[in-house]
Amino acid sequence: MSTKEETPVADGDKPQTSSWKDSIYNPRTGEFIGRTAKSWALILLFYLVFYGFLAGMFTLTMWVMLQTLDDNIPTYRDRVASPGLVIRPRSLDIVFNRTDTKQYGQYVQHLENFLQQYNDTVQERNELCMVGEYYEQDDQEEKKVCQFKRSLLRQCSGLSDTTFGYTEGKPCVLVKMNRIIGLKPRGDPYINCTAKRESPLQMQYFPSEGRFDKMYFPYYGKNLHSTYVQPLVAVKLLLTKEDYNNELTVECKIEGSDLRNSDDRDKFLGRVTFRVKVVE
Amino acid sequence: MFEMNGEVDVKMKKKKKIKKKDRLEGMKKEMDIVSVIHKTRRRESWREYGLTSSKAAEVLERDGPNELLPPKGTPEYVKFARQLAGGLQCLMWVAAVICFIAFGIEFSRGTLGCFDDLYLAITLITVVVVTGCFGYYQEFKSTNIIASFKNLVPQQALVIRDGQKNQINAMDLVVGDLVEIKGGDRVPADIRIIFAQGCKVDNSSLTGESEPQSKTPECTHENPLETKNIAFFSTTCLEGVATGTVINTGDRTIIGRIASLASGVGNEKTPIAIEIEHFVDIIAGLAIFFGFTFFVVAMFIGYAFLEAMIFFMAIVVAYVPEGLLATVTVCLSLTAKRLARKNCVVKNLEAVETLGSTSVICSDKTGTLTQNRMTVAHLWFDNVIHAADTTEDQSGQSFDQSSETWRSLARVAGLCNRAIFKPNQESLPIPRRIVVGDASETALLKFTELAIGNMMEYRERFKKVVEVPFNSTNKNTLMLSVHELEDPMDLRYLLVMKGAPERILERCSTILIKGQEMPLEEQWREAFQTAYMDLGSLGERVLGFCHIYLNENEFPRGYKFDSDEMNFTTSGLCFAGLISMIDPPRATVPDAVMKCRTAGIRVVMVTGDHPITARAIAANVGIITEGSETVEDIATRKRIPVEQVNRRDARACVISGGQLKDMSSEELDEALRSHPEMVFARTSPQPPSSPPLIIVESCQRLGSIVAVTGDGVNDSPALKKADIGIAMGIAGSDAAKNAADMILLDDNFASIVTGVEQGRLIFDNLKKSIAYTLTKNIPELTPYLIYITVSVPLPLGCITILMIELATDIFPSVSLAYEKAESDIMHLKPRNPRKDRLVNESLAAYSYFQIGAIQSFAGFTDYFTAMAQEGWYPLLCVGLRSHWENVHLQDLQDSYGQEWTYAQRLYQQYTCYTVFFISIEICQIADVLIRKTRRLSIFQQGFFRNKVLVSAIVFQLLLGNLLCYCPGMPNIFNFMPIRGQWWFVPIPYGILIFVYDEIRKLGVRRHPGSWWDQELYY
Repeated sequence: MSTKEETPVADGDKPQTSSWKDSIYNPRTGEFIGRTAKSWALILLFYLVFYGFLAGMFTLTMWVMLQTLDDNIPTYRDRVASPGLVIRPRSLDIVFNRTDTKQYGQYVQHLENFLQQYNDTVQERNELCMVGEYYEQDDQEEKKVCQFKRSLLRQCSGLSDTTFGYTEGKPCVLVKMNRIIGLKPRGDPYINCTAKRESPLQMQYFPSEGRFDKMYFPYYGKNLHSTYVQPLVAVKLLLTKEDYNNELTVECKIEGSDLRNSDDRDKFLGRVTFRVKVVE
Repeated sequence: MFEMNGEVDVKMKKKKKIKKKDRLEGMKKEMDIVSVIHKTRRRESWREYGLTSSKAAEVLERDGPNELLPPKGTPEYVKFARQLAGGLQCLMWVAAVICFIAFGIEFSRGTLGCFDDLYLAITLITVVVVTGCFGYYQEFKSTNIIASFKNLVPQQALVIRDGQKNQINAMDLVVGDLVEIKGGDRVPADIRIIFAQGCKVDNSSLTGESEPQSKTPECTHENPLETKNIAFFSTTCLEGVATGTVINTGDRTIIGRIASLASGVGNEKTPIAIEIEHFVDIIAGLAIFFGFTFFVVAMFIGYAFLEAMIFFMAIVVAYVPEGLLATVTVCLSLTAKRLARKNCVVKNLEAVETLGSTSVICSDKTGTLTQNRMTVAHLWFDNVIHAADTTEDQSGQSFDQSSETWRSLARVAGLCNRAIFKPNQESLPIPRRIVVGDASETALLKFTELAIGNMMEYRERFKKVVEVPFNSTNKNTLMLSVHELEDPMDLRYLLVMKGAPERILERCSTILIKGQEMPLEEQWREAFQTAYMDLGSLGERVLGFCHIYLNENEFPRGYKFDSDEMNFTTSGLCFAGLISMIDPPRATVPDAVMKCRTAGIRVVMVTGDHPITARAIAANVGIITEGSETVEDIATRKRIPVEQVNRRDARACVISGGQLKDMSSEELDEALRSHPEMVFARTSPQPPSSPPLIIVESCQRLGSIVAVTGDGVNDSPALKKADIGIAMGIAGSDAAKNAADMILLDDNFASIVTGVEQGRLIFDNLKKSIAYTLTKNIPELTPYLIYITVSVPLPLGCITILMIELATDIFPSVSLAYEKAESDIMHLKPRNPRKDRLVNESLAAYSYFQIGAIQSFAGFTDYFTAMAQEGWYPLLCVGLRSHWENVHLQDLQDSYGQEWTYAQRLYQQYTCYTVFFISIEICQIADVLIRKTRRLSIFQQGFFRNKVLVSAIVFQLLLGNLLCYCPGMPNIFNFMPIRGQWWFVPIPYGILIFVYDEIRKLGVRRHPGSWWDQELYY
């Protein structure tokens, strides 16, 4: 690389302007940016060896560290002690005109895609588990998955009403709890949603009462539990004509268990807030 | 066209005419004053009349008030603003503004953690403002020179106007005014004496000469500073009265000219300031370069503009060593404190280091090299030269005092002496008692007091009858007194006389040898001549002493002696002996000069004394070494004319003030270059070109770093011009102290040498400190580079970086200032300011690309460990950034399939910050240990010898723990309580740093000059 730079400077060799050019290439001493070719070679070789050694040491320590990791359970799970809640469609501002297919089409499409893995045909391959009991399989080599059929979501399953209620102005929102390895919520967790306004908003929960059944816990991780699907709760917002054109803030919380739902800093820990506005 | 031109021409001419008129009028006015003076003088009553008040008002209108005006400087707010606008400061401002913008945008979006940006901005601004205030304070302290001059100026003056004496404000004096001064007054302007009675003026405030000078109306010298009929503004009249006309007022007076010169001479930038500026510029340049490069890279990769700007800001924050200026300041002030304990008070902090790079010390003789007190050095009696004890504490050898002649000589010396001790000083040792009298009489008084005992009582016993002091009738060469004898039965009078030896000898006909009066034969005269020459060549002031017992019949008791008519015997006396005096060198000085010599520092002596005295002292203290010859010496030895001597053969050179005045600056440069041992003697303190100033400028032209000592007001320009001005604490005037960078409290030259040693030590230690500070900038920078290019979650946050820079690492970097010297630094040459930089290439390369690189690897190892153990494998992290930082993504899957909310990821990110922080801390502990030495093995230097460093490491660990584990930290400073084992992950790298540096030092020690030494020794 150095030779390339040398030539033009050497060509325009003017003695009176040599001062700054010398600092790039000095033809008298053969120095290129203050070093001769030999000096450059030596120092580069030195750094090559030096960084080579460092990279080796880095690789070694990383390798040793990775050896200590368990493939199935993270060493520590304290950062995710309690699960977050998210909704589908993946948007916190659900705004659409119920007469305009294009506008709500994306939500519908999104929900449909999301529910593919819950298709009854897929889920029928999974276990039918005992309702209301943890499905513990610590000693089993192969972890089985409890089935969660899409049809459980009834009106919000997108089977009977393929638009998930968006055309009728009563949209469905799916509430999903984040997966956490080994989580066994105590109590009877269920989803409760409230609209932030004076008069309560009518809502329908599927499965009934918005319960997350215990049989879907605990989760054994991506490797062992590769076909695991987490339980869902669908909330159908029964909006009336009066609610149209108004923005409505809805907060869903997980209740009835030891799961945290009121953290100051994390607004998504055991709760989720979203806005809905249906335009007519 | 022509006409137009003509018109213009006419106008121009008119203008010129007007100007000419003005000038003429101005001249006329001056003439007026002169004529007024002449007229009034002709009237003979002028001496009583003075100026008319209307005339005075007119002149006051023209010349302005009689006061020293400070030069128009830059306004204070501009100075302050300049402190806030340095290279690094500007960068930090930019960073702070970007932070504010980012905060504004993120706040409006309601993003979690947006307040971090606000904190960051506030912290950055605080850092800039605090360092700015500090710099401003430093500058402010060293600029109020003119204030000290103002203190010299008297408030009131006694002026004669309209024939009446008035006490007026000294400010209102004008040229031509008639003023009266009396003992105790400050001279209110430059005045020409027209009448004086026993007037003595102390010029010490102006010239540093402490001996009072008598003022008389006669013009004795064409040089205004030498002549006796001019008294200067701000000097003190000690005794007598005088009347004079004002010849200059305000800034046109001598002191005014010195003041404007002193404040006009630019304060030379200290070498350390140049060094720091040099590398701050480099760092700022590199920070901008890195920041801009990655800004462009980020834009290219496809980040939004705001994001790219935040990257730029973060890189600036990471790369700029925010705590560095504070560290340097604290290190310097620690040394300043240490110096203060050794009697050097440092005013300008940076001067501490300047002293270390000093290559020439221009030292005043009086008081600095010498004790500033005349002391009896030799006596000649019984035809033998006896050496007296000249040490400050009388610890030296004394001579044989058994001779009868000695007793007579001592009696003459004791009696023929007007000096007296001030009362109530019995507890003080004799040499330190305060005496009223001139220098040589003081010396004699103290000498006799030491030799005989209570002189005051002794004089009581020999009652003085009459006395003829030094005066103009005996041309100031003789002094005599007549005394009654101690024995009341002996009614003879004793006449004692002292004076210039040859004049004394003229009056003698006998000489005392071993107590016997012998006729003064030719052989004694020759012996006298030899002794006189010998003592004179030692540069000593020689006095002769003689006495006579007056004939009882001729001068019976009650004889009226008349000092004016001299109605008594004053010839045919009996010669007692010679006593010679000198201001002896301080005991510690020869040693200190020797140390300077081994340290490669040249000591140049500047003195107002006679060249012979100067030379003798110079030889005495080792400024002129044994065997060194001046041109004149060679000439006498070879018996050839001075012109034929090859100047380069002479090592030593004594240049007198007169010669200096005639030399061109090239000649002076040449002289300084060719003679390593220089003495400047009999330099007159004429201000605009005072000798120290010329010498300093010449040395600086030759590339030396010059330290100058001085005490008088006239030295202040040189003190300011010098790279480091050193004022005397005891003898120094306020103006000198203000102009100086350092004050020697004990006025002792040896203290300067201590300062040099400390200065060199701090240079070495600053190097270590800066190397330590710079190292961590790489592990602070690389997280961002990796973050931007590889898109991993951010490993290290800006606030964490600031915590490292401003909290945990400050104390260790300061503690390096306490490190002991690795080798005998006083045996090395002073550093070459152009070659031996504070921050050189190898220091930067070693810190950045080697130790810094190791630290980065340590950080990333720990980072990836913490991520992997929480569920995020290294390979998953790569490219994760956009998902990781997506505020709307609340269910991001880790390597195990767990889903994380944004806040959970954020706290994981804070954990990474903390882990990276701890890695840097652990590596920095290794770093501070290796920085203890640059060449020696740390085992040679000792691990625990620097107690401060050990406690700094403990402090660093404690602070690290506090930041990690104090509740509330996650949301304030983004620190998370981390798991214990993450502290241990970087330890192998710390050990690597330590071992690698030991290998480096071993190579450097074993193979000096090798490639290894050149590349890796910093």
